[in-house]
Amino acid sequence: MKRFYSNLLILTIVALSTVSCKKFLDRPPEGQLGETEAFKTEADVKAFANGIYTLFANNEFYSGRHQVLNELLGDHYKGDRFTGDYSEIFKRQNSFFGGTRDAYYQLAYRIITDANLVIKHLDLATISKNQLEGEAKLFRAMAHFELVRMFAQPWGYSADNSHLGVPIRTTVGLEPIQRSTVKEVYDQIITDLLSAETLLQDVTPTGKFYTATKWAAKAYLARVYFQQNDFAKAFQSANEVITSNKFNMDASFASRFSLGLSTEGILTIANQTSPIQYSPGGDLRGNFRSDLGIPGFTFTDQFYNVATARAADLRKAWYSNTLQSGYNVLTKYNKNFFDLPLIHLTEIKLIRAEAGAETGGANLAVAIADINQVMTRAYGGTSYNLPAIATAAAVIAATRNERELELVGEGNRTQEIKRIGARNGTNVDRRNSVWNCNGFILQFPKAEKDANTSFIMNIEGGCF
Amino acid sequence: MLMKNLFKLTSLMLLVFVAQFSFAQNRVITGKVTDSKDGSGMSGATIVAKGTRTGVQSKADGTFSISISSTVSTLVISTVGYATMEVSVTGMSTVEVSLVGTNTSLNEVVVIGYGTQRRREVTGAISKVSSDKLNSIPVPSFEAALQGKAPGVQIIQGNGLAGSGAVVRIRGIGSISASGDPLYVVDGIPIVSDQFLRGNGGAMNQNPLSSLNPADIESVEILKDAGATGIYGSRGANGVIIITTKRGKSGKPQFNFNTRVGIATYAKRQKFANTTEWLQLRQEAWANDGRVGLANLPGGYTFATASQNNTDWWDLLTQTGIINENNLSMTQGNAKLKTFANLTYSNNEGYIKSNSYQRISGRLNMDYNVTKNLKISLTSGINKGSNRRVPAAWDGGIGDAMSSALPFFTVYNPNGTYFQNGANPVRRIQETKRREIDNRFIGGLSFEYQPIKNLFIRANGSLEYVTAFDDIYESNQWINQSNPDSGYAKRFPYWGTNKNANLTVNYLTTVKENHKFNFLLGTEAQEYIRKGYLFEIGNFEPVPYWENASRYRTRRDKLIKDRQTGTPPQLTEKALEEYTFNSFFGRVNYSYKDRYALQLTARVDGSSKFGPNNKHGFFPAISGAWTMSEEDFIKDIKFINFLKLRASYGIVGNANIPAGKYYGNYQPGGITYSGNPTLYLNYDGYGNPDLKWETMHNIDAAVEFALFSSKLTGEVAYYNKQTTDILMEPGTAPSNGVGKVYRNLPNSKILNEGIELSLNYKIINKAALKWSVGGNISKNYNEVLDWELGPDAVSGGTNDTRVVKGLPLGVNYLVRYYGVDPADGLPIWLDVNGKQTKTFSLDHRVFAGSIMPDYMGGFNSSFEYKNFELSTLFNFVIGGKIYDNSGKYQFMGVSKKNWNFRETFFDRWTKPGDVTRYPRLAYDITTFPGVPGEDQFNSTLFLHDASFLRLRELTVGYRLSAQTLKKLKIKTLRFYLTGSNLLTFTKYPGGDPEITRDFENPQDRNLSPNVTYLTAPTQRTVIFGINLGF
Repeated sequence: MKRFYSNLLILTIVALSTVSCKKFLDRPPEGQLGETEAFKTEADVKAFANGIYTLFANNEFYSGRHQVLNELLGDHYKGDRFTGDYSEIFKRQNSFFGGTRDAYYQLAYRIITDANLVIKHLDLATISKNQLEGEAKLFRAMAHFELVRMFAQPWGYSADNSHLGVPIRTTVGLEPIQRSTVKEVYDQIITDLLSAETLLQDVTPTGKFYTATKWAAKAYLARVYFQQNDFAKAFQSANEVITSNKFNMDASFASRFSLGLSTEGILTIANQTSPIQYSPGGDLRGNFRSDLGIPGFTFTDQFYNVATARAADLRKAWYSNTLQSGYNVLTKYNKNFFDLPLIHLTEIKLIRAEAGAETGGANLAVAIADINQVMTRAYGGTSYNLPAIATAAAVIAATRNERELELVGEGNRTQEIKRIGARNGTNVDRRNSVWNCNGFILQFPKAEKDANTSFIMNIEGGCF
Repeated sequence: MLMKNLFKLTSLMLLVFVAQFSFAQNRVITGKVTDSKDGSGMSGATIVAKGTRTGVQSKADGTFSISISSTVSTLVISTVGYATMEVSVTGMSTVEVSLVGTNTSLNEVVVIGYGTQRRREVTGAISKVSSDKLNSIPVPSFEAALQGKAPGVQIIQGNGLAGSGAVVRIRGIGSISASGDPLYVVDGIPIVSDQFLRGNGGAMNQNPLSSLNPADIESVEILKDAGATGIYGSRGANGVIIITTKRGKSGKPQFNFNTRVGIATYAKRQKFANTTEWLQLRQEAWANDGRVGLANLPGGYTFATASQNNTDWWDLLTQTGIINENNLSMTQGNAKLKTFANLTYSNNEGYIKSNSYQRISGRLNMDYNVTKNLKISLTSGINKGSNRRVPAAWDGGIGDAMSSALPFFTVYNPNGTYFQNGANPVRRIQETKRREIDNRFIGGLSFEYQPIKNLFIRANGSLEYVTAFDDIYESNQWINQSNPDSGYAKRFPYWGTNKNANLTVNYLTTVKENHKFNFLLGTEAQEYIRKGYLFEIGNFEPVPYWENASRYRTRRDKLIKDRQTGTPPQLTEKALEEYTFNSFFGRVNYSYKDRYALQLTARVDGSSKFGPNNKHGFFPAISGAWTMSEEDFIKDIKFINFLKLRASYGIVGNANIPAGKYYGNYQPGGITYSGNPTLYLNYDGYGNPDLKWETMHNIDAAVEFALFSSKLTGEVAYYNKQTTDILMEPGTAPSNGVGKVYRNLPNSKILNEGIELSLNYKIINKAALKWSVGGNISKNYNEVLDWELGPDAVSGGTNDTRVVKGLPLGVNYLVRYYGVDPADGLPIWLDVNGKQTKTFSLDHRVFAGSIMPDYMGGFNSSFEYKNFELSTLFNFVIGGKIYDNSGKYQFMGVSKKNWNFRETFFDRWTKPGDVTRYPRLAYDITTFPGVPGEDQFNSTLFLHDASFLRLRELTVGYRLSAQTLKKLKIKTLRFYLTGSNLLTFTKYPGGDPEITRDFENPQDRNLSPNVTYLTAPTQRTVIFGINLGF
């Protein structure tokens, strides 16, 4: 019996020793950091904010998907070779399933959430606190802005903009939330941008505009106000960017997508060759590049003729109907690598030109000078320039024309159709949809409604 | 808790000790009751002095001691299921009684968790499948051989790829994101059965179970209810499959040689339009869309050039595979040492060209009695499974033959070069090679020490070690290199260790004759780590790495060195997955007079998989049985030989989720941006510190019976399983910005309720002629009882099935197809209100069916006449639906999708007035009003009844007679011819009705079996075998 008890004792000790070994059950996955380990110092917050630039340059956002979605909804391209999600969006009949759209939506909200995480951990920041907060607010505003333009009817669709926008996320959390009105979303965007404008640096340490400055915030403000047809404010913000003299119009229209040749980028995602190759614009090349094969996107004859109508237009080099026989293609992105400007001086000049014409008075002369500067470069001379006495209407017409041609393939056209529609009810769509038809916006991912059955989806289709 | 129980145990033991001395009377006979089958001691046998009322019961080891009056000369020994024996004890003080079983199934030893029981003592729901039944047909993986053999166990055979895994569901399914697979325990070690260690590479889930050698397996026990699985706690909810390997048996060395050769082909294939037909159909679709002129064709073809070709891709890609299996085993046993050894070599070709599974396997199991009370057992097996992979489904190969390899495409251009303007699966198969080599070693050492009578202390240590290589070789032609010596070789290795240790204390005791107790206390720890390299190992090589491993090692070592000596030095490997379990468990069995049995089990499981806020779970279960046939009022009923009621209730869990999901996934970026470091929160990596197991409440009740001289035996069982705390990964709002998060979904509940019936009837049971039939059928009712998310929150991998409150898990949510408008050939749909409409809309979707069958089961017949035998097994499924997702595209084959067009779609509208099954063809399917795109063209047009009846096994055998064997000086010799999947009866038009597709993840596997996407049909095999014992 004695032996039995001693055996029992040993057994019990062995058994109990395994239970108390708490570390045995503690196996965090190798190579992963929890939130508290990830955010320990200011450097961590800076690194996290720095990562968000690369998210903007992800293929599913500004490196292609954003432009693709806009160009599909627009009126420049032939539709018969699109299949699947592309075909659906092209037909302005986006339904609630579709990975192409879902990934874009997710990435935009990932950017917003990451920006919110930066703000959540700002208490770790000291010397870079303002810059980090400014960046986070700029990023959050940029993503909300693109979302509200893509997933909601435009500003001006309803008189008080009480129509539904997108969910606003200013904190980190898993709970589903409802859509805010378009007005609320724009208010949030402008609040963030105005705050970012005061918080962000004036110049970057390197002198390059590869990270955010207050000029990026102002340029986005100009874009937002312009989308709202708020011309006075758009003019003012654009004017501040231009008169900072930090950015210069490129001598050639062709430098915008290049490796380091452009001086127009107000916020640019730089191509990086070392230490590790990092190349923005992949999906722009993937969808539009035309020197290696027939691209997915080919222009209609109608637009091709419009775009190449003027013999003197140097920008005709952006088009070809011979590179891929039988197809009208874009050559803008026929490069292996380029820096990706998220917002550039040409666009700001075009904003100031149109906003200047709309506001009139002394601004009109500024507007004429701006549009003439763009045209002189485009046509290799002054032959198409407007006279100093040009009417506001003529300036607006010329600016809209140049905007369409300058920003071809940059995801601009669809929002212009809507802005002009909201401005005074004019329908400029070459595919003859009404600017505010239901299908002219993207549908929300179905997952949003499934997580939150009271979520209100968009109405689909009905544009043709 | 532990200490307290141990003290209870010891005090009970003391009690017994004292009790044993209180019977001293006139004459004492001691003895032992053994089972004639294996010589093991039998507990609970009744020993009565004939003509008196004096009686005792045998103890756990079969021994007894009875005090009788000197006048008594005979003892009567009886127990349930055995022929009663009378032995004379005149002039004897010790006797040994060997009882012969009358109903062997009631006396068979059943392996339960951490122990064994005799069938009649079992209080839980356990089905047993023995070795002979498991090895009757060649299967890609052992679990497929369980099909139709156990009630309530749904096995969907793996697809036609060599080594592919079956889907196993025990009594339905109650999980969504967590795996619904049972826990597999091999000789006491919970092994890794995860089908997603290689993701869905090459459109195949690499099945770890295929590296278990079926020839090594002695028995498979399927534990179904909480009474049985409760001892496995947080891992018992999906049922437990216990695999026990063969061990040495008493006797002189005996050898067994098994060999079989045979052929493999497909059970049922799809057929497609030839070139002429395809081109006509294309033109028809073109014209239907209002297009003029000749339709355009893919691949650079014109009608003139295309019509010159007619390639039968299926034919080019398939073969008659040769099956060859050999194994040689040895068993030996004496008082000291028992040994079982086995060697296996097999090479089973599939029906797809260059696809095969080769196995080299060895096993050595030994039991050594060091002293009378110390036994050491070794369990060891090594298996090398080499799978010559072929691409399938969406990845090409045989998938291309069913989809985008059109009949006018050719393997070669007229100039002899490969055709590359479209799918060319022959080029793919010839110019790329893939081989998965899995080495699995399972070894265990256990010590069983008996310090005093009836007390057993067992310590087990086991190790499972796995190395796996996924080798790919792309020829110089494939990667467009001119140098014929420079193909590209790649190898993706991982290696894992699974360590398991447990310690149990088992004490058997009988109190006051009739009260038998069996106490078990144990603790167990498990640690699993699987590692891989952080970089890809590949290089331009003249040969694949499997042909020249030194080239691999050279490359690997260089890459490792580069990383280690780089600035800064980089890590070379990491744990891909790592988890631990630490558990305590206990079991108490109590029985009274063999009539009443009660079992309590409890387990505390701690696991590294659970979040810090929920590290430990407690899982109790209770079960009981009443053997009514031991009661006098039943004993009087002549036709009842055995009747038992049993019931159980318990709480078990499902912890089958990937490790580390509770933890945040922030990582420093591999890139800098603008010269500065980056840090990311990985999408889907937010973490959840509250993460825990899924909880299941499980009720089981059953009647087991043997009637009419035990000719008719069977069981009827009822169960009710309710799962809560459902583990969910998707279903979060994408606007949360962090993606999917593993969490226990609040207010969620899933019910599985069902009835199982199994019957066996011995129609004729004579020496020369035996005929028995048997079968089982089960019905599982599944319903999502509580659910708050929308219908599309959960889909299978590819938008296939849904989860909706009030409906079964995995419902087909589709637009209803009504028919064709004879006027214009356009489809007519039904909207949600059942109103006809010609405009398609996803808003018309309704719940149109479920992947779950209504009934399933199998039936068999076994006939023996003299030395001949004939046995058959049919399995069947009644109800449930198949969604033919690739059929959707095959119907659109002649559209700009450019796929093969299946012959079953020929019945289509071509002109006004046609009444047809299928609508008119379209070049662009979005010309059908409202169809948003090809991928969304889902409707009941492609939903089919999944019912089928299949002749799963048919065997004709001949066994040499004893006299002949004697002459030949051998022990056994048997020849047999076996076919599998020989006949299939189904209304499903898409070929094979059993669909285990390539799955994206466990959720897909839970919800999308029966949703096909170019799934290769199951194998049909015919083999000839010889079984020689000497």
